[in-house]
Amino acid sequence: MLYIWHLSILLSALSLAIMLLLIVRRVLQERRGTAGADQRRLLLTALIAFTENRDREALKTALLAVPARVAIDAGFEFISLLRGEEHDELLSAFNECGLPTLVGTQLEKGNGAERIHAAEMLAALRSENAVANLLSALDRDRSREVRIAVAIALCDIGALPPLVVTLRKIGVAGQRSRRLIELFRRFPPKRFDELRDYAGRQDAVPFIRAAAIDALARAGGFQFGEFFARAAGDPSSEVAAAALRALGLTGHANAPAILIKAMENGGWDVRADAADAAGRLGLSELAAPLAQLMDDEAWTVRYAAANALRSFGQKGEQVLREIAASDVSRRQRTASLILAEGPAA
Amino acid sequence: MFDWSQEIVLGASILSWFIIGAGLAQTAVYLLQLIIAAYALSKRPPVARSALLWHRYGDVAPPIALLVPAYNEEVNVVESVHSMLALEYPNFEVIVINDGSKDQTLQRLIEGFKLVKFHRPYEEALTHKPIRGLYSSRMTERLFVVDKENGGKADAQNAGVNVCRAPLFCVIDGDSILEPDALMRAAQPFIDDPERTIAVGGTIRIANGSRIEGGRVREIRLPSRLLALFQVVEYLRAFLMARLAWSRINTLMLVSGAFGVFRRAEVVAVGGFTKGSMGEDMDLVIKLHRHMMDTKRKYRIQFIPEPVCWTEAPESLRVLARQRTRWQRGALECFFRYRSMLFNPRYGRVGFLGFGHILIVDVLGPISEVLGYVLIPAFWLLGILSTEYLLAFTSLVFTYGVCVSVCSLVLEEAELQRFPRARDLAVLTAVAVIENFGYRQLNNLWRVKGWWQYLRADQSWGEMTRTGLTGPKK
Repeated sequence: MLYIWHLSILLSALSLAIMLLLIVRRVLQERRGTAGADQRRLLLTALIAFTENRDREALKTALLAVPARVAIDAGFEFISLLRGEEHDELLSAFNECGLPTLVGTQLEKGNGAERIHAAEMLAALRSENAVANLLSALDRDRSREVRIAVAIALCDIGALPPLVVTLRKIGVAGQRSRRLIELFRRFPPKRFDELRDYAGRQDAVPFIRAAAIDALARAGGFQFGEFFARAAGDPSSEVAAAALRALGLTGHANAPAILIKAMENGGWDVRADAADAAGRLGLSELAAPLAQLMDDEAWTVRYAAANALRSFGQKGEQVLREIAASDVSRRQRTASLILAEGPAA
Repeated sequence: MFDWSQEIVLGASILSWFIIGAGLAQTAVYLLQLIIAAYALSKRPPVARSALLWHRYGDVAPPIALLVPAYNEEVNVVESVHSMLALEYPNFEVIVINDGSKDQTLQRLIEGFKLVKFHRPYEEALTHKPIRGLYSSRMTERLFVVDKENGGKADAQNAGVNVCRAPLFCVIDGDSILEPDALMRAAQPFIDDPERTIAVGGTIRIANGSRIEGGRVREIRLPSRLLALFQVVEYLRAFLMARLAWSRINTLMLVSGAFGVFRRAEVVAVGGFTKGSMGEDMDLVIKLHRHMMDTKRKYRIQFIPEPVCWTEAPESLRVLARQRTRWQRGALECFFRYRSMLFNPRYGRVGFLGFGHILIVDVLGPISEVLGYVLIPAFWLLGILSTEYLLAFTSLVFTYGVCVSVCSLVLEEAELQRFPRARDLAVLTAVAVIENFGYRQLNNLWRVKGWWQYLRADQSWGEMTRTGLTGPKK
């Protein structure tokens, strides 16, 4: 019986003690927060003044007058707003104040969110030790999100290790993140061959291969047309669909035959992207297979096929009108809907 | 002659053990939740600022359709939609579904956004009441309005799912307010793990008392009324403790219908929202769990505390009672509809922990607790229970309740710190203590009433009278 009473007293005392501690902590935080906001305001004023008078010494004094954390935080956002000479001079001031050293420490010892932010800041500050710090983090950091952020930062400063090595260091679990799309989009054109080689690897994660193909196509990789044409027949529907999207952007001499074949693929995403590519390339000779595709079981495919036909202009619209006027069927309904799309009369 | 007293004592003992057993089970569940939630928080890094999120994820954020069912929302609908259109997300559209409102909801939208009738082909993947018309806006490409016959919230949401074209959709109540960066934060799991993430829920917070202008919460304040304050603590407990914990072990059974992001393909695969359901949000999440496990696919249903959606809490006992009985009916309905999943090894943790939690907390919890309120004093009066035991157990029950509430405040303080002033924390501490004396008992009575209505197959929703969040209000 006594135990129950003791337990009750213990629980209530514990609860109240914890809350009391939290309230005291919060009071202290409130005071610190006000001071931090004031310092941030002062620094921002100094940064704005610098853009007007370019007085580097005055800026350095202001940077050293506030805690390094405040200087880095406010400075990073400000730096991202500047370009050209102003930007470079500001970077020099930050580097001369030794701020990147602190960012390097944050990359090593901060929590996950801080480490990601530190990687971004190191890329922006472009200090001497940035590459060494980032490479070390890519090797050692335990969080895959941080490793991806580090890889993007390394890519930005032109020091990304070979793609195969980078992806191995990021790890298999991280190779499904859409952040890698960001990495590939920032890839320097002179290293596009690496992306192509990786996208062609059958043992690689399909998501990554598809992302690499998308990045190549977006960067205007006309020289990879042959590669896209081959990848359109890839056993992975994700890769094949990406290759078809790429073909839709870059075009290819053999595109009609490739697209007709893809329109018979078992994957609905492949069929939809094939129809979409036909529309983008304006291949009006594919009107017949596209009309067939309007009977597809998947709505996305039917819609893509009808849209492609519509994009052919008068000829395509004529086909759609004929289908819409035919007996009631899946394709008839799709054609009617697509013809009616837009503001009501 | 038959001695009835022995039978009465035996019956009383059985009942007492049932009450004690259910109480202990609930205690164990809360303790487990606390430990897992604390672990989840310790593993979770502090969140990045909004500006950084945009810089980091802006280019790869997937398109999202915001589905907003609206029924008789003429007072707030235009301002709510304005605030949704101003969300900070690179690629989204807002689809308002006017569910056969009897007031001027549609007319207000037509006037407010210069709507014109529009034909938009869409996949009829889910069934719903007929759509009377689709409207697009001359002012913004992001807005579509679906005008349909009345069919209830789930029916309206299904119509929205059909019409939307984005791979992800977000359901939100028409009278709720999303934080500007809420979509960006909710999309993060879909960016980091796009193949496995199928649903993400965020935190629902109570906006009563806060300063709201232009469809934004400008200043966070605590409600001035005690009833709303109780609900603040309750919501913190539900979201920061229970959902965080179950999400950590992929056993989350509820993504709130007031704010949740779902992958469209999976929702269509399970047949969308169940029409006529009292708990259509819980129902959908259970269906998603079942579908993914039946098809043996890896998946994640996540709760992340940072994306915050503000809602208005009932400030009258009558309205709150209706809301709570409806929630109880929803939980019971889902439990019994999918009862074959309970303790079914095929459904692993979801069957054991997820359904076990519903059984203990929602199905048995209110009955055992209300029985306790009635029988324990009765047994004491009859001399079956000693005064010492009565007092000791009662004090333990209350102090444990206080402790659980305080722990959820600790989690809030460690993770979000949404209440700006230390004074707020002190007020909430006091509320966490007071709620155990009266409010908790009342809540359990409403839940028992919900049980009763469920047994009588009462399907009425009751009216949720709201005073409206938008507009200057204190």
